[in-house]
Amino acid sequence: MSKTMPHTVRVFLAAAQRDFRITTRYGDFVVGMLVWPILMPSLTVFAAKALAGPDGAGLSAFAERTGTTDYVGFVFAGMVLWMWLNMVLWSVGGALRSEQRLGTLECNWMTPAPRLAILLGSGVNQMIVSVIPVFVSLAVCTAAWGVRFAVTPLVGLVFLVSTIAMFGMALAFASLVLFLKELNAAVFFLRGVFMVFCGLTSPLAVLPPWMRAVSKALPLTYSIDLVRRLSLAGASYADVSRDFWVLAAFAAGLMVAGCLAFLIVDRAVKRSGTLGQY
Amino acid sequence: MSVANAIEVEDLRRTFTRRAPNKLTRMFSRQRANGGASANAAERDDTGRRPAALVAVDGISFDIRVGEIFGLLGPNGAGKTTTIKMLCTLLEPTSGTARVAGFDIVRDPAGARASLGTVLSGERSLYWKLTGRENLEYFAALYDVEPSTARERIRELLDRFELTDKANELVERYSTGMRQRLSIARALLASPPVLLLDEPTAGLDPQSARNLREVVRELKDEGHTILLTTHYMAEADELSDRIAIIDHGKVIALDTPAALKQHIQQMHSVEVETDRAPDGILDELRSLSLVRGVESVQSGNGYQTWTIRVITEDSRQTLDALLDLLRAGGERVLNLRVAEPTLEDVFIALTGKSLRD
Repeated sequence: MSKTMPHTVRVFLAAAQRDFRITTRYGDFVVGMLVWPILMPSLTVFAAKALAGPDGAGLSAFAERTGTTDYVGFVFAGMVLWMWLNMVLWSVGGALRSEQRLGTLECNWMTPAPRLAILLGSGVNQMIVSVIPVFVSLAVCTAAWGVRFAVTPLVGLVFLVSTIAMFGMALAFASLVLFLKELNAAVFFLRGVFMVFCGLTSPLAVLPPWMRAVSKALPLTYSIDLVRRLSLAGASYADVSRDFWVLAAFAAGLMVAGCLAFLIVDRAVKRSGTLGQY
Repeated sequence: MSVANAIEVEDLRRTFTRRAPNKLTRMFSRQRANGGASANAAERDDTGRRPAALVAVDGISFDIRVGEIFGLLGPNGAGKTTTIKMLCTLLEPTSGTARVAGFDIVRDPAGARASLGTVLSGERSLYWKLTGRENLEYFAALYDVEPSTARERIRELLDRFELTDKANELVERYSTGMRQRLSIARALLASPPVLLLDEPTAGLDPQSARNLREVVRELKDEGHTILLTTHYMAEADELSDRIAIIDHGKVIALDTPAALKQHIQQMHSVEVETDRAPDGILDELRSLSLVRGVESVQSGNGYQTWTIRVITEDSRQTLDALLDLLRAGGERVLNLRVAEPTLEDVFIALTGKSLRD
């Protein structure tokens, strides 16, 4: 039939291109994409400066717990990764929700194109668009605060594996969108959990033991920690290999679970007849 | 599949389960019901309750021959769109079978989808923030049109539907008619043998609707099989080789337009123009002997007049009683005409009501 690999790749690329074109036709989105990555981390950086005291006396306590005195880089790494992965997390479900609202979802679903390819293509656009804030943040961090991030192939690999893990969760969210339609509350809840439990602006060591246990079950914890250790603290692969493979296992498991959840819910929605409802 | 049939539908049925309302919903429902007449009275059973399942399509069967235009005619809520959605695999049937170009819609949905071009009703089936050409490029990829041929195919379709000049403009700047033409162009991208057109002229101005009907005729001449749903009698009559009349999810008649009209040839259609809405006496008119159906519409002549159409087996025997009832109801008869039956009269005779009900 028509679900050949070249067709799947064409659908994937066409969906990414479609969304990229649409995204770039909304000017305000571009402005937001450039402004937020500067504003958000700055809030926490200024708060950290105040807490460190006028002569930076508090930095030694910080260094004791994190292994680095570079709290600006520490906060930026956490915040930027959180913002980026948040966008990826909601990208697929958000695209699906938008299609439901616009009324274009059924037109896509009526074609012989593989649906997962449409969804993932749409998510990839979001990922590409989301990379821009990361670069803006890095540029600001370097120019305004003098932070030097070591950008190595291994850091890139951590980004990639983290993205796969988030795409898995994003597909699970997309399944829920098909089923429940409105998910804003759930997304905000999950964002909040990541924010508090994943060591976004503070080291995990300051969390109570039960919160540390929860944080170990969240892939974003490993992503943030790995990026900080590799790009700020100069760790090598040997230092981080265990956590890297835990993250990779999360990515593989979440991707498979996300795809399965989507395929099951897609069939269920076809049976219930609620695909086009919003 | 028989070679002669492009679509085969056998005992197709689709029900939608209603979720039991929770306490909060029940409370709001009571408030709404107390606030005015229940809008869903027709959906309730004898005990006044809404049934647990809504039967949208109730065991319909028909075959559509290769190369024919098959009209599915019925009022809103009759089951037309649900049937189309099952055929284009957006919705699974509760029971029964259907094949499109030989592909079973449940067992081989991808095969069925690859043989179909579908235009659903409603105009938000395109991306308004993309240009017409970008929309077609995107859907060409989805329909698996080879990149080497897609560009030429898109050029042909834009030319054919007179959209070349506007091809690089955003769809949000298109008129409704242009969007509908682009939707049909999208459905034709992969040159599918079967086209499903759900209310294709709904919302179009008369000129655009006429042009679109011309396109449908051309598509038939090119060998496409077309399933067309409409609630416009004249459109079904003008375009369809055969028509299935559908009401409450059931096919209540299926034949050529000429044969359907022939069935009630011995009947008469009496049209009476009155000066006010005759709502109060319609049921009494329906109860007259020999009367098979009654409908009432506000005349579209710019005056506040209403036209009552009464389908009767013998106008000579019905006329006196009809006029008596109208006078007793305080209606002033402005005009009266006895006409040959039309396809609309067929529908009224079969269902006892108008398509607009």
